[in-house]
Amino acid sequence: MTAPVGRSLGLLLLNQASLVLFAGVVLTFGLMSPAFLQPANASNILIQPASTGILAVGMTFVLLTAGVDLSVGAIMFVAAAVGGKLILGGWPFGGVLAVMILIGVLYGAMNAWFITQFAILAFVVTLATRYFGRGLGLRITETRAMNLPESFYELGAARVLGVPLPILVFALIVVVAHVVLTRTPFGRQVYAVGADVEAARKAGVRTRAVLFAVYVICGFCAAAAGMVALSQAPAVSPTFGNNREFMAIAAAVLGGTSLFGGRGAVFPGTVLGAVLIQTIENGLTILNVNSYLYPLITSGVIFIAVLLDATRCRVLAHVNRRKIFVETGS
Amino acid sequence: MLSEYLVAWLCLAYFVALAPFAPGFASLDNLRTILAYLLPILVVSVGLTLVLILGGIDLSVTSMIALASVVGGKIMSGEEGWLAGHALAVPVGIVAMLGTGVLLGAVNGLAVTVGRIPAFIATLTTMMFVSGLAIWVTLSRKIGGLPDGFLVLGQRLWVAVGIAGGAAWVAHAGLSRTLYGKWLYAIGHNVRAARVSGVPVGWVTFGTYVVSGGFAGLAAILFTAVLETGNPEMARDNLLDVVGAVVIGGTSLYGGKGTIVGTVFGVLFLALVDNSLNLLGLSFYSIMMVKGGVILAAALVDTTRNRWRGGAR
Amino acid sequence: MTPALRFRGITKSFFGVKVLQEVSFVVPGGQTVGIVGENGAGKSTLMNILGGNLQPDDGEMEFDGQRYAPASPGDARRAGIAFVHQELNLFGNLAIAENLFLGGFPWRARWLPWIHRRRIHERARQWLAEVNLPHAPDTLVERLSAGERQLVEIAKALAGDARLIILDEPTTSLTAVEAERLFAILGRLRQRGISLIYISHSLGDVLRLCDQVVVLRDGAVVAQAPARELTVERIVAWMVGREISQLFPPRTGQPTDRVLLDVAGVTQPGVVKRVSFQLRAGEILGLSGLMGAGRSELARILFGLDPCAAGDVRLGGESLRGQPPRERIRRGLALVTEDRRWDGLCAEATIGDNLTLVALPNLTRSPLAWVDRAAAGQAVQRIREAVRLTPAARDEQPVKTLSGGNQQKVVLAKWLLNEPQVFILDEPTRGIDVGARYEIYRLIQELAARGAGVLMISSEIEELIGLCDRILVMRRGEIRDCIEPAAFDRERILRAALHEEVGV
Repeated sequence: MTAPVGRSLGLLLLNQASLVLFAGVVLTFGLMSPAFLQPANASNILIQPASTGILAVGMTFVLLTAGVDLSVGAIMFVAAAVGGKLILGGWPFGGVLAVMILIGVLYGAMNAWFITQFAILAFVVTLATRYFGRGLGLRITETRAMNLPESFYELGAARVLGVPLPILVFALIVVVAHVVLTRTPFGRQVYAVGADVEAARKAGVRTRAVLFAVYVICGFCAAAAGMVALSQAPAVSPTFGNNREFMAIAAAVLGGTSLFGGRGAVFPGTVLGAVLIQTIENGLTILNVNSYLYPLITSGVIFIAVLLDATRCRVLAHVNRRKIFVETGS
Repeated sequence: MLSEYLVAWLCLAYFVALAPFAPGFASLDNLRTILAYLLPILVVSVGLTLVLILGGIDLSVTSMIALASVVGGKIMSGEEGWLAGHALAVPVGIVAMLGTGVLLGAVNGLAVTVGRIPAFIATLTTMMFVSGLAIWVTLSRKIGGLPDGFLVLGQRLWVAVGIAGGAAWVAHAGLSRTLYGKWLYAIGHNVRAARVSGVPVGWVTFGTYVVSGGFAGLAAILFTAVLETGNPEMARDNLLDVVGAVVIGGTSLYGGKGTIVGTVFGVLFLALVDNSLNLLGLSFYSIMMVKGGVILAAALVDTTRNRWRGGAR
Repeated sequence: MTPALRFRGITKSFFGVKVLQEVSFVVPGGQTVGIVGENGAGKSTLMNILGGNLQPDDGEMEFDGQRYAPASPGDARRAGIAFVHQELNLFGNLAIAENLFLGGFPWRARWLPWIHRRRIHERARQWLAEVNLPHAPDTLVERLSAGERQLVEIAKALAGDARLIILDEPTTSLTAVEAERLFAILGRLRQRGISLIYISHSLGDVLRLCDQVVVLRDGAVVAQAPARELTVERIVAWMVGREISQLFPPRTGQPTDRVLLDVAGVTQPGVVKRVSFQLRAGEILGLSGLMGAGRSELARILFGLDPCAAGDVRLGGESLRGQPPRERIRRGLALVTEDRRWDGLCAEATIGDNLTLVALPNLTRSPLAWVDRAAAGQAVQRIREAVRLTPAARDEQPVKTLSGGNQQKVVLAKWLLNEPQVFILDEPTRGIDVGARYEIYRLIQELAARGAGVLMISSEIEELIGLCDRILVMRRGEIRDCIEPAAFDRERILRAALHEEVGV
């Protein structure tokens, strides 16, 4: 491989499309506003994506098996609504936490049961349970915003060894997810199932169990994301978690996870995707941009990233195409 | 997913079963209401059916409705429209609303064919952008004061029925009788074989997204006329209704399979469920839950049926 | 030696149709047994039962003196039976070592589900050495060639402590060199006392490799005999149930002097180089060469599916430069691709829709105009009769329900409807059994007799010799030889195809 330097540099940049884009975004905002590059803001850039990021980690597991979970926003909502009710009812914090996580896990298990037991498309199952969950959440909150006690807010600002709690939770989940995906039999089997379910079954992988597990993990992450979101803005509004699933999918895809399964990673991929999305919002806030423009700019950047990724795949496919003979002399 | 006539029977069975319990369910007035709200959803579902048969997906259709509705309002409104009171306001508004859909459909089509972005993610970003745009343009306010000449589309039911029925018929005929239809199914079945067989895959794909956008624009016209405002959040919560109806109507998410007739019954079925639960006095959140259950049940019936039919497989 | 595997009275029906009846035979320990039979003879059903994917209705199996009744692929693996499938069951997105241990990774400790990476790498390296594959264990499988993947499959079987390995058509995607390497390794396996079941349509290979040959026909064992007592002709006679006097139909037409397709200096960097030839009306021109010599790639370039950097292709005197496939089809080019299921047919669609797909533009004025259904229906009927498609199949039936031979007829027929002048046929008889092949050959000869030009790509040299008027040999993207009928000779063709790669 002795491609000209310019071309291999171009390939390198294309290969790291989301990283390059991230650098571009940071640089742009940094030039436009010095406040953006202040250390205080750096921690903001890490805190803000925690909730979306955790959601996207769970989504990555599901996408890796070539599935999709459209119900994560609804799970977030149901867990937060129940959690909020219990807090207001005077439950101890630990108990609330446990109940919320349990809800996420059970909800994921419900999705998983329909998908694995009846072989219904994940898209359809989670579409249905998304409806169900949003309806249930609205019923629990009686379609009113539920404000939680101030103590919750302190939780969001709390620090352990100087690290804000949301970042800590996010980091913990990322590390565990990364290790599980790269170092455990289950993790490698997730990749195998995503590449080819039938072949994985023939190779002795318990494919149903693997599929079941990824939706449970996704449910767990959704509940955790709901908790982190509550700690940052302690209120459960009727739109809590609405359309977050799309943000989570976008973050995972930005990080290089394929919608067709078998390809992608939590770290750095998905984390980078989530941070990129949130950094844009952060920068726009600092620049005092009209908040109506946020979704326009965010989706614009996502579009560019996706387009770059598609180009990269095409170029790489072209470069890696099997050569029948090696050209000599040129 | 389901065979088209099974869904037709389901509609009938549901109607007969619920009629004694839901007050006024079978009344003529109520049927008119069902129809008025069903038509815009039907039109956009028809467009989506074409995209799904192709093997693609278009998540941006409902956001296109919102933007087209806003565009129509901005042009036609007697209060703040650019052509307020002008004789040409209504025709220009209608053309602009259709044009909005067609243009956005073309953007999707280009992203998928030239940009080679997977349809799911391409139309997802279009959705985020377009709904953001609709809200930004109006600062999330609704636009009222639409001219009577436009609202007549919503008040005279037969006009709307004619438009929606005509659109559905055109799609049905195009799908079942024309070369375009044959190409669409071929691409959905096996895009590589279609390419080798001389099917202009790029053009058909592009065209189908444009058509889907156009149908969304048409749906926006009907919707805006019924609701009498240009609304940046119009149809925001209907995306899953649309996808659900098409899938219940027997169209496969894997492409190559589906009919317009099936989609018509799928839309009708969800509309009946929605309306009857309303009449039974259920709150809208309970209706959401039930609808989720209905989509799931329909999917269950289908897979079970396939299993019986497929025997050992 | 004790019998390693014994089938006793295995019977299986699908929907009341018996696909296996009372199959009984023995695979002696440490021996290689070839199983041959036409498509549909029951080979794959039998192997699915052996692998635990299907349960027999009746009968039983015995492996190593024990009753063997696998309920799942896992049971088969645990019993020491491994499959090397035609479509390889490897995961391109995983490393070689991970593929070897996917079903049962060694854990770091009993209580810790953590992959012991060092150990799997060590063991993988050991098994890779066993199959002569000099790659690092953490190489992604997608970077390997088809032949190397096959070896990884065998390494996987060894890593799973297999005592019986089933090879299902292992050589279809291998070059001659890779196949030789595979045979050498199979020999080594035999020395280790591993039993092998070898399934292949390539009867020469079967005779060469196996100790015993079992012939299946219509779900029953019709013969089992030691390989050294057999000839290809006898096996074929058993397979089809009659002596086949002629493998190739007699030739009816003669090539003319009129040039239909003129290929001049076609070049695409890394793919093909200065390819020039002429195809005449009524001529069947063979294109031989190894797998990966650039034959299919050339076909795709001629058809406008892949880019062409230099050179020109003329059809009936007119240049096709820059024309998309659609335009080339309109001018009379047809391409039957190498893999029917991949890009030849819409398997889920009906026979009727597949048949009319290419020619439909002729039956309408524009894409949005009405299709003339009556005309289309007539055309379908006419073409079905022309290719003698099985009358049992209805037009509304999905094409995937047809046998391989009938599917290939559908592919040929959909092009025939367009009345092309030039056919490019890429491996038109691959995966088709002996009886149906004759029919395909006859169709090809009829095309030529009617004045069309046929460029026939095939890996089976006998087929080219039996059918063609001239044979081109391709090697590494270039045409290396053009052989006239007088000089048709298996060895000469092979030598041109291999040349410096091995000293034949």
